[in-house]
Amino acid sequence: MAPPTRPAGSAGSRPPAQGPGRVAHWTASPSLRLVGKRLLMAVPIVLGVSVLTFWVLDLIPGNAAQQLLGAEATPEQVAALSADLGLDRPAVVRYLDWLGGAVTGDLGTSLVSGQPVTPVIAERLAVTGELVALAFVASLGLAVPVALLAAYRPNRMFDRVSMLVSITGLSVANYVLALLLVLVFAVQLTMFPAIGFVPLSESVVGNLHAMVLPATAIAFPLFCFYTRFLRGDLVDQLQGEDYITTARAKGIGPWQVLLRHAFRNSSFGLITVVGLNLGTLLGGTVIVEQIFALPGMGQLMLQAINTRDATVVQACVVVFAVVAVLANLLADLLYAVLDPRIRYGSR
Amino acid sequence: MAVADAAAAPALAGTDAAGRHRRWLRTLEVAVPSAVIVLVVAACFLGPLVLPVPPPVGGSVLESYLPSFSPGHWLGTDPNGNDILSRILHGGRSSLVVAVAVNLLGLLAGGTLGALSGYVGGAVDTVIMRVLDVLIAFPSLVLTLAVAQSLGASRTNTILALAFFSIPAFARISRAATLRLREQPFMAAARLCGTPGWRVLLRHVGPNITPQLITFGMLGMGIVMVIEGALSFLGLGIPPPAPSWGNMIAQGQQSLSATPMLVVWPCAALFVTVLAFNLLGETLRARWSGR
Amino acid sequence: MHEVSLLLAALLVLAGCGGGGGGGAGSAPAAPTGPPQRGGELTVLEDAAFAGSWPTGLDPATNTTGGANISMMYAIYGGLFQMRANDDGSNAEVVPHQAESYELLDEGRTVRITLREGLTFTDGTAFDAEAVAFNFRRAVDAPCTCSPTWPLAENGITTDGPRTVVLHFTRPFAAVINAFPVTNVNWIASPTALQEMGEEQFAITPVGAGPFTVVSNQLSSELVLERNPDYFEEGLPYLDRLTFQSIGGDQPAYQALLAGQAQAYEGLTTTPLLEQAQEGGRLNVTVQPATSPYVVQLNTAAAPFDDQRAREAIYAATNFQAISQGLFRGMYPVSQMFTGPGGLFHHETVEGYPPYDLERARQLVSELGGLTVNLGTLGSYVAEQVMTALQTQWQEAGITVHIESYELSTLVQEFNSGEWQAMLQTAGAWDPAAGVGVAFRFSSDSPFTGVHDPELDTLLQQAAASLDPAERDRLYLQAGEHIARNAYAPFGLAFAPANLATEGVYGPGLTTKIPPIVVNSPILWDEVWRVQE
Repeated sequence: MAPPTRPAGSAGSRPPAQGPGRVAHWTASPSLRLVGKRLLMAVPIVLGVSVLTFWVLDLIPGNAAQQLLGAEATPEQVAALSADLGLDRPAVVRYLDWLGGAVTGDLGTSLVSGQPVTPVIAERLAVTGELVALAFVASLGLAVPVALLAAYRPNRMFDRVSMLVSITGLSVANYVLALLLVLVFAVQLTMFPAIGFVPLSESVVGNLHAMVLPATAIAFPLFCFYTRFLRGDLVDQLQGEDYITTARAKGIGPWQVLLRHAFRNSSFGLITVVGLNLGTLLGGTVIVEQIFALPGMGQLMLQAINTRDATVVQACVVVFAVVAVLANLLADLLYAVLDPRIRYGSR
Repeated sequence: MAVADAAAAPALAGTDAAGRHRRWLRTLEVAVPSAVIVLVVAACFLGPLVLPVPPPVGGSVLESYLPSFSPGHWLGTDPNGNDILSRILHGGRSSLVVAVAVNLLGLLAGGTLGALSGYVGGAVDTVIMRVLDVLIAFPSLVLTLAVAQSLGASRTNTILALAFFSIPAFARISRAATLRLREQPFMAAARLCGTPGWRVLLRHVGPNITPQLITFGMLGMGIVMVIEGALSFLGLGIPPPAPSWGNMIAQGQQSLSATPMLVVWPCAALFVTVLAFNLLGETLRARWSGR
Repeated sequence: MHEVSLLLAALLVLAGCGGGGGGGAGSAPAAPTGPPQRGGELTVLEDAAFAGSWPTGLDPATNTTGGANISMMYAIYGGLFQMRANDDGSNAEVVPHQAESYELLDEGRTVRITLREGLTFTDGTAFDAEAVAFNFRRAVDAPCTCSPTWPLAENGITTDGPRTVVLHFTRPFAAVINAFPVTNVNWIASPTALQEMGEEQFAITPVGAGPFTVVSNQLSSELVLERNPDYFEEGLPYLDRLTFQSIGGDQPAYQALLAGQAQAYEGLTTTPLLEQAQEGGRLNVTVQPATSPYVVQLNTAAAPFDDQRAREAIYAATNFQAISQGLFRGMYPVSQMFTGPGGLFHHETVEGYPPYDLERARQLVSELGGLTVNLGTLGSYVAEQVMTALQTQWQEAGITVHIESYELSTLVQEFNSGEWQAMLQTAGAWDPAAGVGVAFRFSSDSPFTGVHDPELDTLLQQAAASLDPAERDRLYLQAGEHIARNAYAPFGLAFAPANLATEGVYGPGLTTKIPPIVVNSPILWDEVWRVQE
């Protein structure tokens, strides 16, 4: 929803604190302790999310049986199907039933189709995963060089233009962009397909061709955000940090200063932001998936909510939560790897 | 957009032509977006009272789909015969009210929570942060859909749902800012004087973290307006026929290739407003972070 | 900085204008210029909100959305019966297809269906009376609104020899044959395959005796079919491969067709797109004959509509002609009873139908001392527009109107609570006794009715039981007049979706008219063909 921000104590504005000058023993390594702690934390978080979802879903009127049968079903038909699907059991029983299976890796069977949920989720996750991955690669791949170039000569033409484009791009809703892309590139110019997904197993080229427009719709706002963020951070570094002044005083060339010093520090913030983004982006692709008819996770969850398929909703939510937690953890880990102050447990 | 001076600023900054130029640009940077925002707000809230526009609902179905620049309907009409200009203006009211309400609520609730968490620290901090983690990991789509389908889609419910999900972001900012603040000498001084916690929070922490929260809120305005549109796409958000820019876009795009102007006008209005908020927020952020 | 926004706006406008301005001179010719050609592949898009959703699989007895998936089911299973009509939609009738003939005996209490000789499923097993009876028994108990409402006697499904199935009813059911194409008893699955695969697998890869066999099935997403070489109709199907793909709505479907990614789309309801498609000339647009009119159900069991004057005020304040003209460019005719011009037993005017009369409406409202109404509908693009238009019209008569768009479960709740006042719905079908029938909206014992009138009940029951079409016509007309006289529910325009096809694609129901039995027209996929390049 709101743009992610750096967590407290993130890189940049403080001089390195005095810490132990030697390498600590690996079993006492703070980063490993961090990983362990966070993994442990992940369990109650995911559990909390799953309980909340189940409870919320139960509060919505209607159930899978009613949704399936539609508006012309008699109450008797609905009751019969509900009983068939096991929906007349109390909520706690249903939840524990699901939980029991989930813990052993079986995410249950769909209330609606009777098919096992895990393979469906795997398929859909692959699609959304690919979409998000492509979007990230494209947006970061462009954002980093653009931000570097912009920060190299702040307030010159390139900087101003790129910042302008970024802030303009951020002001366009991604669904508007998606619609625009389809109209121009798929219908008018027929350069790319308007809908559909080609599995990688069928054709790599076809797959990428079909993903260009949807990935662009998602990547462009991300690109704008990362460019602005990174450029802002780089400029902050270049102008405020003592170590930069030192480096310059030592005669290190401007590109070196930028890449080896400023960027290295700014990348922490960027990584954290990317990690936070990744977690929230999985569900955020719903509209783009709808417009391009991509069989992804966002669509699956939307369909599952609309058909009140509680098992599938639960499974999706748990997957999202796990991914979000893992993404954050990965970001924090990378952060620890890159920043010796954290690795060696200072401050 | 930071117009921070490049490496070597002249010692007598402000007296030469370059300095004047820079000062003029700096003024413009705040003035132009602010002016746009004021214009938009005035147009939406005062416009319908002053301009001769028909009401946004209750149009005659026999006047449907009129093109732009038709007599009496400067931007045309929608499928039910309602004047689009009027719907844009009234829709702006809705979109703006939702955005302001969401950000205000989020700021107050999230800001307080975060400041509390950062200031008190310890177990309270851990508990609050973990609860927020759960909230962040929770797919907001599920809850928003649930609210819309059980309580009904309405402006109030949209505001509540969106505000609820903006709390973690505000809380994080507020907590980070509070943590940074805690190390400052004047905070230690306040504690040493025996100032009670709540007073410290209110009179010292509050005013100091507010600028950051406000700039974040500015950026949040644009985001909430866009998300409100996204909700309308999914059938949530403000229910038609009451207009909001988001639901106008969502409705119009159902026949986009045949009726593009039904989408273009609200998209343009949304874009200009969001851009203005983003520019202003960015400028304020650059100014207030002291660079 | 605003140049960028202007550029974006310009792009949008350009893109929008370009799409409509092409071709220009009317729609593509609907009549093919040569005989049908064999071969080729076709992708048809289905709206994810209706036909493009098959979450429970494609087994006739377990597919709870069977009534919406008639296209896929027909492609896989063919059908015991099939609906045919003249190219312009007239003379529509349900005729035997995999069945050879049928007889109604005992004034309709016994139905004998004789199958064609030598039919087999695609797994080689025999398509005989035993297989059909097996399917019938499964289908009748299915959790689907598409399972038939047969008044079966005890052990009412029997066989008589290898090729004849006999049904025994407790009372006559006039629409037994007419309802076949949209009920799951029309689709006969191979019992052998079902037993071998098990129900779960069978729902994914069903085995029938239709024109196509299943290659792959991704539920509610994509269904790929290929020609059944042993299809009983000589020379059919024309297509080598048929793919059904789910799509989010009319706009993306239209774009996909223009972009050449699919060749057909069923069920277009968005009027501006319909017009653009017709004017554009690149697509073949076939507007189906309408069979189900809109109706504003009024709850006569509660205030304010327990008072006939309030109901008459609604009739007098409602001008569906204007709505048809304004929202739909006059494309759809207005009905005064629960039938449409494409359906059986249609009468354009009903004696005693209270006409649109704004003065009278205002007068009635003031007589009542004011009238406040809650009007609801099941959320959909078209229904919401109609509901909004009604609100405006009624308000002109001094009626205070609150409108609300419900999603399914809340709608059902409203009906169950009995507190609803007015609901915009659709009523009727090609045969008023087919599907859930008119009784669903008007019979005293239905949970979704607004009317509790034993006289009306009798008329509808008799009409559903008589085998004589003339008698049924008379009874339905009487029912329509009764409804009008009591001002139970004003009827509106009869709306029918359109089918789109790209150039060079032809087929019955797709580029010719066949009235929809309930919602979508039954397209005969075995006879759909494509011009080969």
